[in-house]
Amino acid sequence: MNGRQESALLIVGHGSTVNPGSSAPTLSHATEIRRRNIFADVQCAFWKEEPSLRDAIFLFDPGTIKNVYVVPNFISEGYFTQTVIPRELELNGRITKRANGQTWNYGEPVGNHPLMTELLVQRAREIAPDVPENQTSLLIVAHGTDLNENSAVAAKREAQRIRRLGRYANVLNVYMEEFPLVSDWRVLTNTPNVVVVPFFISDGLHSYEDIPVMLGIIDGGSTSSAEAKCEEVFRRGPYKIDDRSLFYASSIGTDARVADIIVEQAAAGETNGSRN
Amino acid sequence: MPLEKTLAAVLSDKSRFGQIFIQRTGSGGFVLCHHDDANSRGLEIFKKPEDALRIARSDDAGKYRPLKTAPNLRRGWRLEVVDLGELRRALDCFYPGRLAMLAAWTDNRLSTTPLRETLDRQSGMYRIAAKISDQQIDDVVGNFCKSGGGCLRTILWKRDTHGAIPSTSLPPKKFDPGHDQTGRGQNAIPLLCQEPCNLLVVECRKVVKGEIDE
Ligand code: SF4
Repeated sequence: MNGRQESALLIVGHGSTVNPGSSAPTLSHATEIRRRNIFADVQCAFWKEEPSLRDAIFLFDPGTIKNVYVVPNFISEGYFTQTVIPRELELNGRITKRANGQTWNYGEPVGNHPLMTELLVQRAREIAPDVPENQTSLLIVAHGTDLNENSAVAAKREAQRIRRLGRYANVLNVYMEEFPLVSDWRVLTNTPNVVVVPFFISDGLHSYEDIPVMLGIIDGGSTSSAEAKCEEVFRRGPYKIDDRSLFYASSIGTDARVADIIVEQAAAGETNGSRN
Repeated sequence: MPLEKTLAAVLSDKSRFGQIFIQRTGSGGFVLCHHDDANSRGLEIFKKPEDALRIARSDDAGKYRPLKTAPNLRRGWRLEVVDLGELRRALDCFYPGRLAMLAAWTDNRLSTTPLRETLDRQSGMYRIAAKISDQQIDDVVGNFCKSGGGCLRTILWKRDTHGAIPSTSLPPKKFDPGHDQTGRGQNAIPLLCQEPCNLLVVECRKVVKGEIDE
């Protein structure tokens, strides 16, 4: 990476106007990377929160920061990474030279990095440390049919990669809104243990409510706060259902090791990004 | 650290930034609290700059604050930071990006974007927002951005490339960075708005779709 004193990292997240949990992982990865002192400055920008993507253009003083590495904290390429972020940040391709002398490198989304596979496996292992993997099915859950991201394809790719490791009895990509459906887990799997990892960037309604309802581990319609729901659903496992043990993880994007992926993605953006 | 420099240049022993009251301590640190709590006792003490994230998250009623520059910062806290660097980080959590915009503005490198340009740039579900009429803009901006109950930023952008003011119902001081938007008439470090925010775009879309009363 070009001189650290002159380089800054910009982590771009979606953010939310209703759910504070949406930007929380992005902010904490930024805090962690700041602590490591790899970049002269580390900032976040959001589509739905502050600082905005438009603010981001002015976040780094061109007098001191010459290179900005932009890493989208998104699960896959899609509408945001291909349309919204480049437009709002005024990026034209992988490398943008600005009139102020800065060079902006646009990296690939976090979910695209090969380390993601390792992280999913580690996460699965951590929430179910004592189960024999050859008697366990691993389910990677994505939204599916979302217009904005290709998360279904990304989840499928991750499931394939993990399957190739030959560790688990079964590895499946399942979806909330398309087949194979996460709610069909009982028929899709036949192992005594099932580990479910949501392939999302942050915890939100999908991970603490919708998917658990589809899995049958909580009842819908609870009125408790988001925090209380998270506390409940992620801490209470394993769930015993029909003589089987179901282990449910929080979204992969909340894992502290995503900070490593962001740093890697910034470096990769400089050398071999696939964008043009 | 240029942002610290910008901050140092505008700080006095007692400063105000939005709804935050900042006091310099004898040891080079700073104490922050809600400006209505300057004389309050029994405040909950925080010591890490990043604690500001948690403080700024919800209003007094516990409701999430999607716009951090809205005048609904909660009360009852006191944040103690040890130096200028920590103060910068705390203020960045309270009002994300606002110090950097101030630095860019001070250096004459902050460009502004008219509302119509922002709206015309939108895609997907927000594209329709560009259909808003000038009169509707006048109303929606006057209501949504007003300092009392809306947003404490100083508006630097125009309605369109002809330089029309964004809303005739906002007072001229809404566009004056020298004015204290909290209405206290005190010296305040301005929270600058160089381009309409996404929330305003959402409001414009709602008006076009007839989802809110104009
Ligand atoms: S457009 Fe600017 S002034 Fe209006 S609400 Fe958004 S941030 Fe505040």
